[in-house]
Amino acid sequence: MIKYIHIFFLAAVFFFSCGNHDEKKTDSNGPTKKTDTPSSNTKQINPYADVDISPMDMSYFPVDYPKLKMADSIKTSPVMRLIYSRPHKQGRVIFGKLLKYGESWRLGANEASEIEFFKNVTIQDKKIPVGRYVIYCIPYENKWTIILNSNIYTWGLKIDSTKDLMKFDIPAKKAPANFEYLTMVFVKTGSGAELVIAWDDTEARLPINF
Amino acid sequence: MDMSYYPVNYPVLKIQDKATEPVLARVIYSRPQKTGRLIFGDLIEYGKVWRMGANEATEIDFYKNVRIGGKKISKGRYTLYAIVTPETWTIIINKDVDIWGAFKYDPQKDVLRVGVPTEKIGNVVEALAMVFEKTDKGCNLIIAWDNIKVSLPISLK
Repeated sequence: MIKYIHIFFLAAVFFFSCGNHDEKKTDSNGPTKKTDTPSSNTKQINPYADVDISPMDMSYFPVDYPKLKMADSIKTSPVMRLIYSRPHKQGRVIFGKLLKYGESWRLGANEASEIEFFKNVTIQDKKIPVGRYVIYCIPYENKWTIILNSNIYTWGLKIDSTKDLMKFDIPAKKAPANFEYLTMVFVKTGSGAELVIAWDDTEARLPINF
Repeated sequence: MDMSYYPVNYPVLKIQDKATEPVLARVIYSRPQKTGRLIFGDLIEYGKVWRMGANEATEIDFYKNVRIGGKKISKGRYTLYAIVTPETWTIIINKDVDIWGAFKYDPQKDVLRVGVPTEKIGNVVEALAMVFEKTDKGCNLIIAWDNIKVSLPISLK
């Protein structure tokens, strides 16, 4: 029974997702596009903007910078900020299945994930100037290639690789927990911070020095 | 959290090669839900500064200089707040970015305050919504929640 309801629901979602008006938020129109966010439960109808199934989030370094600033416990400027949408696993196998090894992955959902450096930083001995970048990934079984790209303010499904600026290989490992939602946070290190990227049973860390 | 662009749906237009004008503005905001509560005049008290969002302060980015309420706003990143009354919302554009909510709102960092009339809407908007719409002079930023909406006119010149 549940299965039939599900099929019915998918059919309904497919029907509605054929309309252009729905394109921005459901992100699943047309067979040529990858989707890592099934449009399953858009319960809410909002005449202005539906609420995304993959919610957007932001991470700062220093961690929780806006709260620290509110509490007057920090005087320096933030170093960097990441804005990304958070797809969830929903019972699927993510790496090697939903996300194919060797194919580009947008590290998010909806709008392309964006990293902004408010000061110059260094990654793997490459200098990264202050600015905004699209960040995405090519996952392999044991390593991920993290890519910074200059084509900002774009949608994550179609990355223009001719605008790639820099690539960094980092090891991919078994995560200490199972992550239902894609999670990207900064963690302080001796020489700066790491961008920790975790989803499902896998995590990878990009060291950023400043 | 969510983001809205002007031109509307700019990132999607961009990957479809359908963008006919350059990106002008972007708002990033968290979306509190009504969840059965009375919002204006109750949850949000009239006459007090409201963060017009949740969590990290609501942020607007202008990629060009614009004019709002007759005043020039230089391109850049700003925090948005509002003071609501039944008839009018005072929209506040403030330059203290990367902050949490309105708990440390500093009026000395205001760039602009502009009053916009409220409008009753037929359907209840469950989650706070902020979207742009095209106008002859540029765009409006529409802010809607519960049964109220306001439009903030933004002009390109």
